[in-house]
Amino acid sequence: MKSSVSRSVAAGVLLVGVALIVWTAVDEPDDGLGVTEAANAPTTTPQAEPIEASPTTAAVEATTLETATTTTAAPVPTTTTEAPAPIPALGTALTLSKLDGWLNTDATSLEEIRADNEITVVQFWTFGCRNCKKTLDALAQLHADFRDRGVEVVGVHSPEFGYEANVDNIIEAAAELGVVWPIALDTTKYNFHVWQEGPTGYWPRVYVIDSDNQIRFDRRGDGTHTYRELYATVERLLAEDST
Amino acid sequence: MKTIFDTLTEGIGVITWACTLTALVPGLALVLVARRARLTVALYYIAGAAFLAWAQAAGHWWVAARGTAVLIAGFVAAGTYAAAWRAPGHSSPLATGAGLVGGALAGWLWRPCVGEFLGDILNDASTAGPRTLGLMFIYMVGVLLPLLLIAIAPHAVPAVGRVLDRLPFAIAGATVGAAYAVALAIGQYDDLIGELYRISAGY
Repeated sequence: MKSSVSRSVAAGVLLVGVALIVWTAVDEPDDGLGVTEAANAPTTTPQAEPIEASPTTAAVEATTLETATTTTAAPVPTTTTEAPAPIPALGTALTLSKLDGWLNTDATSLEEIRADNEITVVQFWTFGCRNCKKTLDALAQLHADFRDRGVEVVGVHSPEFGYEANVDNIIEAAAELGVVWPIALDTTKYNFHVWQEGPTGYWPRVYVIDSDNQIRFDRRGDGTHTYRELYATVERLLAEDST
Repeated sequence: MKTIFDTLTEGIGVITWACTLTALVPGLALVLVARRARLTVALYYIAGAAFLAWAQAAGHWWVAARGTAVLIAGFVAAGTYAAAWRAPGHSSPLATGAGLVGGALAGWLWRPCVGEFLGDILNDASTAGPRTLGLMFIYMVGVLLPLLLIAIAPHAVPAVGRVLDRLPFAIAGATVGAAYAVALAIGQYDDLIGELYRISAGY
């Protein structure tokens, strides 16, 4: 009796598991689904969540401060008021060093790009990473909307696997994927590991650096809400700079 | 509840991705090798992988997978396969240890491509410990579901168990395990998986 019950339970788990795999495989969205929507959302309805009040920001802040060369005290979010609290600085951004070169730009350093812009969005990515590809529509939208307002996107290409380290493959993939913003070639993943605290790094990870070289946004993953927050953060920082 | 289900399905959705294979392939091999304790090994493997992946994101684990640490990991990996092979049954400490240590190694070496829900887990790991650890376990159940199903299948369909009990399956698992341990020790594991992915994806 006991054996029969356990066999039935095992069969049930097996069936549910197989069904979930099949269902997920059939239901898998195309790359990029939802991200364009995310990128577009703030232009029409600026309803992005105030990132300074989110626990995610606090988490990122806590970890980023440990790797920053200097730190800036971040305001603690208080109760909601009509005027949103300033976006906290999460630490001083590092530079990009030991690169193998740049694509899509005449610049030869992150400092040069920063000097020409108010805000720099730095994303660690690699062309073979599907989650990274999902974010490219949102980054393209951001690039198109804010390029003339002093915002530059920098894709730091840190390959996960050998074939992603080949420059010809990167150039071909960037053209296919519509990546027109500067790409820093971090072939040895030196910057990937130095920028990201802890023993491992993640693809994709995106930072926003302001004109004072302070990190004002830091997120992992390809979440629609993440890139909506990114867009809203850039918008708010531009407004902050203009006042 | 929706978050739990979405986290699980996000994990299942990346089963075939290259960044997932680095955790999945060694686990499948370990479960095949552990002929008398597949379910124990599978469950502890998932738990070990989830814990280490979470601990790294939360800042509780600082050993990077480079240099001497990877060399040692190669020998430890070989030990997990030997332990799984020798494990006499589900209650054996060898089965528990092989699963837990093998999973922890996988979680440590795993370089995930981060989707929406995994991103939230990683972003919140240092401030929302228990919740994110639980969600990481759910995510890993999704990512490693194939090895859980292989471990459960003999309990549901005994004929499958009789097939899996045949020596060639265990030897195949041991061969993959040995290749994994060697590739780890010489620092070539990521490239090996990447090359396999490149070939299969037709790049």
